[in-house]
Amino acid sequence: MFNLIKREVIIQKKQLLLFIPFIIFFIVMDSHPVFIFLVTSLFVPFNALAFDEKTNVNVLLNSLPYTRKEIIASRYLGSLVYMAIAIGLTALALFVADRSFTFSHIALGAGLFLLFSAMTFPLFYILKQGYIFPIVMISFFLFVGGGPAVFELVSGSLQGIIQFVMGLSMPIILSGFLAIAAVIYSLSWVVSATVYERKVF
Amino acid sequence: MQIILSNQSKEPLYEQIMNQVISAVLSGEMEEGSALPSIRQLAKDLHISVITTKRAYEELEKVGFIYSIVGKGSFVAEQNMEVIREKKLKAIEEQLGNVIRNSKEIGISYDELQDILKILYEE
Amino acid sequence: MEPIIEFTNVSKQLKGFAIENMNLGVNKGFVTGFIGANGAGKSTTIKLMMNLLRPDEGEVRIFGLDYATHEKAIKERIGFVYDGNVFYEGMNLKDIQRIVGPAYKRWNDALFHRYVEQFELPLNKAIKTFSKGMQMKASLALALSHQAELIIMDEPTAGLDPIFRRELLDMLQEIMLDGERTIFFSTHITSDLDRIADYIAFIKNGELMFNQSIHNVEENYGLVKGTVDLLDRDTEKLFVHVNRTQAGFEALTSNVREAGSVFGESALIEKATLEDIMYYSKRSEVHV
Repeated sequence: MFNLIKREVIIQKKQLLLFIPFIIFFIVMDSHPVFIFLVTSLFVPFNALAFDEKTNVNVLLNSLPYTRKEIIASRYLGSLVYMAIAIGLTALALFVADRSFTFSHIALGAGLFLLFSAMTFPLFYILKQGYIFPIVMISFFLFVGGGPAVFELVSGSLQGIIQFVMGLSMPIILSGFLAIAAVIYSLSWVVSATVYERKVF
Repeated sequence: MQIILSNQSKEPLYEQIMNQVISAVLSGEMEEGSALPSIRQLAKDLHISVITTKRAYEELEKVGFIYSIVGKGSFVAEQNMEVIREKKLKAIEEQLGNVIRNSKEIGISYDELQDILKILYEE
Repeated sequence: MEPIIEFTNVSKQLKGFAIENMNLGVNKGFVTGFIGANGAGKSTTIKLMMNLLRPDEGEVRIFGLDYATHEKAIKERIGFVYDGNVFYEGMNLKDIQRIVGPAYKRWNDALFHRYVEQFELPLNKAIKTFSKGMQMKASLALALSHQAELIIMDEPTAGLDPIFRRELLDMLQEIMLDGERTIFFSTHITSDLDRIADYIAFIKNGELMFNQSIHNVEENYGLVKGTVDLLDRDTEKLFVHVNRTQAGFEALTSNVREAGSVFGESALIEKATLEDIMYYSKRSEVHV
């Protein structure tokens, strides 16, 4: 299992050199810390997915002594590991750059990462090879660009809930958000595992 | 022991192997008790399938030319020289019969035939 | 004999194609050649062996174990060589070794390097620069380095030049020397099989027509040639398929002995090659 997680780094060793410049780029661009935490967390897992897209990786992995469950588990657990590393590095970079950020930024970034991953990972197992990456790119922009707009739209009708949420303290809102994201992430894992179990290679 | 196989021959490969082993034994090239190459090694050397050499050895075993010990390999069996001699002698008589028939057809006398045989034998 | 691969009544329905009720046994220590026309179901059968596909019905057992409970144990002992490249194209052999090696408990780095050297493969060049033959060798090196007991190959010789094909067959004979390994490989180049296959499995339209030793194939099948007046309803029953021309007929029989006694000297009976068998069977509706 650990080998499967490590695999994601081995396949993109050249791209990893870009990781630090990637972080610095967003810091220089003066992006919002939440956004930086989100995109840097996405870097390794989605790069790995892009690599896997280009080959018959499913045939390879399934011919090696791994079970389908392990292959899916490695994706979901590995992404958490790489997210943690990315957040650590990003926090360090922000600190060095003397940019202020709070724990809430990290929690929001991580939560958004979980939500986005939860929605896109199953696509890699449902859709046909070759169609996936463009769809993921488009959904990312919709997610980042359209998300707030949708929120504005529905907020009118959700006044009651918003009022209720606003009444809570910040730590409770954040942990609630993270908990919901974690639940959705776990559900997504179950969906992917079920789909993958039946997949034909 | 050397074995030369022909892909063109009508004789199946396993029979070709059998016959060559038998003549190596009869000519004394392979002595009683000496080891034959392993089935798999021979298959590899001859570029043929294992099952073919396996069959050749099995047939040789059946007719008593070789014996096998599990885990050790195959060896040339003790030959009953009397029986073999008998068989060979019969074959020679048969072949000579052909020679005589052919000779008579073109009118070669017994003396002439003897001379030819003498020359060939001493060659 | 110990069956290494065992299919029992395996059926698999795919889009526009089906494997039906397949029973297949592959013996330990031998080379089985798997023949059939393109699209006959060779790759599908191999995928079923590798658990890349799961049968709708029936059972697949490898080393006497089933995939449902022993998937990892089975795959530890299988080496696979596929027709296309399944490795990341941009990577070199060293990277692939770092991905594939740790997956196996019995992986041996030293052994891998020995094969890489023997096969004259570059460690630091991207796989995409490899020729078809080199890709093949790389797959084989990986398969051998974890001491696989069963080597499954899908069209290993397709697209290889004749010299390399022969070298490959030599290598396969070499690894068969200890008698512990089993090789199952599909091919449509039947001349490869004449040299090393012990058993021939023949598939047609998703159906296994036979799985016999090469001796049985040789002893049962024959090509009969003669004048058309020899053919009637009775004698035609002896044939898998008959080709008639103005010059006479050529037919494949799966019962040479009987054909010999029926026709005697009146017809010419020759050895049938695997190609003959495939060719005539394709045209035939009856079972071989």
